[in-house]
Amino acid sequence: MGEKTDQPETDGGTPQEDPTFEQVDWASIDSGETPRRKKEYVWFGIVSAWLIGVVYDVYSQHIAGTGAAEFPVVGIISPVDWLWSITLLVFVYYGLVPLAENRRMTRYYWKEFRKNKAAVISGLFLTVIFAVGVIGSRVLPAPERTPGLENQPPVWGSVEDYVTGNDCPGGTTVVDGVTMCQGSWAHPLGTTSSGEDILRASIYGMEVSMQVGLIATLLSITLAAAVGLTAAYYGGLVDEVLMRYVDIQITFPTFFLFLLLAYTVGGSLFVLILIFGLFGWGSSARIMRAEALQRREEPYIQAAKNAGASSFWTVRRHLLPNISNSLITAASLTIPSIILAEAAIAFLGLGDLTVASWGRIISGGRDQLRTAWWIATIPGVFLFFTILAFNFLGDALRDALDPRHGGSGE
Amino acid sequence: MSSITDNETDVDAVSSGSQPLLELSDLHTYFRTDSGTVKAVDGVSLTVEAGETVAIVGESGSGKTVTSEAITQLYKSPPAFVPDGSIRINGKEVTEMSDAELRQVRGGEVSHIFQNPQGALNPVYTIGWQIKEAINLHSDLTKEEVRERAVKLLTQVGIPEASSRLDDYPHEFSGGMKQRVLIAIALACEPDLLIADEPTTALDVTIQAQILQLLNRLQSERNMGMLFITHDLGVVAQIADRVAVMYSGKIMEQGPVETIFEEPAHPYTRALLDCLPGRGTIGGIPGDLPDPKSLPKGCRFADRCQHAVENCRAGDQPPMYQVRNDPQHTTSCVHFGPGMDPGTVLDSEVGDTDLTTDGGADSR
Repeated sequence: MGEKTDQPETDGGTPQEDPTFEQVDWASIDSGETPRRKKEYVWFGIVSAWLIGVVYDVYSQHIAGTGAAEFPVVGIISPVDWLWSITLLVFVYYGLVPLAENRRMTRYYWKEFRKNKAAVISGLFLTVIFAVGVIGSRVLPAPERTPGLENQPPVWGSVEDYVTGNDCPGGTTVVDGVTMCQGSWAHPLGTTSSGEDILRASIYGMEVSMQVGLIATLLSITLAAAVGLTAAYYGGLVDEVLMRYVDIQITFPTFFLFLLLAYTVGGSLFVLILIFGLFGWGSSARIMRAEALQRREEPYIQAAKNAGASSFWTVRRHLLPNISNSLITAASLTIPSIILAEAAIAFLGLGDLTVASWGRIISGGRDQLRTAWWIATIPGVFLFFTILAFNFLGDALRDALDPRHGGSGE
Repeated sequence: MSSITDNETDVDAVSSGSQPLLELSDLHTYFRTDSGTVKAVDGVSLTVEAGETVAIVGESGSGKTVTSEAITQLYKSPPAFVPDGSIRINGKEVTEMSDAELRQVRGGEVSHIFQNPQGALNPVYTIGWQIKEAINLHSDLTKEEVRERAVKLLTQVGIPEASSRLDDYPHEFSGGMKQRVLIAIALACEPDLLIADEPTTALDVTIQAQILQLLNRLQSERNMGMLFITHDLGVVAQIADRVAVMYSGKIMEQGPVETIFEEPAHPYTRALLDCLPGRGTIGGIPGDLPDPKSLPKGCRFADRCQHAVENCRAGDQPPMYQVRNDPQHTTSCVHFGPGMDPGTVLDSEVGDTDLTTDGGADSR
């Protein structure tokens, strides 16, 4: 879209120049909408900078052959971090910024969202997981294999001495003639059978799960929305071609595609995210197409056409907001399923063994459930509650954000 | 309230110029379906001048809406297509336009008001957003000018405290108010032609009268042409200058509004007038519209016509014959052809035709 067609969003101007309008009303509207144009330029700048960075990185790695590009301040940026950064930026620009600008709607959404207590708790839980994961994995040292510190129990527990490694920082006690190794604050949630600190591994796992869930879902939902809406809006041959492609894509499970690539080019986290993001959107596209087919027949779509709007404008500004219900449903189904899929792949040992995934730790503890239960259980609990929280959150968001539900903000 | 006589002088002034605002000639619009081609509009010729209101009347399924949608190609294509005929707006041929040109015509030169105000406003945007969208699609005004214009438009269509209501969502408006907003959106880029497709059908009677008055006033203020689609003859009497009666994709009769009501020529028009409450038969016109996939030979109304004769069921739909000595009044009925006696139809009984006088404050 050109500059001109972006204008309906831009409203306002300085209220002082316009004494004829009621100052109170316009002041509140303008405060939100005046910086819009500026905001678009800033966003354009950020995306351009990101693209230039990616291109430079790709160039120096694959064309110049000088290895990963080093950037000032941040140093080397891994492929996953490139995707992660743009995902978070998109989340801020399309999620948080509009909410901050339109206070009235935000209040209304919050009022609706608050009704669902489980969702509020889920939201808090996920925020904590997200913040601890993102900050923790950058501040804390990575968990390392430490010979001698294997199978340390959590701080509140103790275990027979022979289970653990040679060291026992929490000290030993003798109960009924058996030497027990006590847990210690050095490793509050114990260690794995190779001596990795479970707390730190779990914190690193938090970021991995968030990365997998959010990046792959953003990719997947964007593609699904583009394909689903295009198919529904144009119908006919376009619809036929796109949806038959979706049929074909769905018959080829992403899981096997990942296996294929894991054996050929290696199954890094980056490859996993791309596979699930680029090939896992079929069912979401079907959901969105189904709703878009209905919305497409609404008179306001014809009214937009009648006003002289282009097809892209109609789809982007009129069709997309009205299927947000399906979009959020699809996203709230996709996030947990991708996180679970990543955990499953790591559990099977097919993923990147250097990545501290919850699935890999669970897998490492599965032989020792009887002697060292905490190894598999603690990351399992994190995984369980994260999936549950995403499901609750998606449910509540769908109810609160459905624009056709009202939204008067009274 | 401006009177219709003003309009009529405008008509004269403009029609002495070269080309009409809208000219449909022999327009066909068909739909391809699995079970055959639906001939929704099958040869319609019609003109609308600036400042003039032309009403298309007819029962449901007679092709009124498809005709109006064909003008700016609003229908979904495929299945719809125009096999024949031309649509000229200000002399420009619509059927040969590119998408970009069409977008300029839509909203800029020709604007629609839809039947259902509940659905035609997007529920996720404020009405201010939607009016500004319409303005921005066709002009390069600054933000302040756009907002000013939006407020002015809302005030013009009679929405009180317009500037504060810009920030309201459609569901915060009543049905009549929504229709006013839609009219404001339709007028946003000062179209030359306004197509109103049953704009009052979804509204109650008091609101209906207000909306008609509003349309009448706006039309004479701006000297717009208006094509008014309706099945309600009472509304036609209030708003139209000329009337085209449609049946089964064809125009059956055309003429000035007074003539149509005082001396309806086509048996179908007479049957329609007979169906008005308080006159003639309550039961309506017996029979149904012919199947648009397999149209009968001869006159399409023949099967339901009490004056049908042998001639009616052969050949094509009769051409438009002049009725009596009025060159403006034409009808597609064999009884008005050369060598036939129009009296067969004209002298038969039809309900009182004093409808033109009960149109309310702004009627002629």
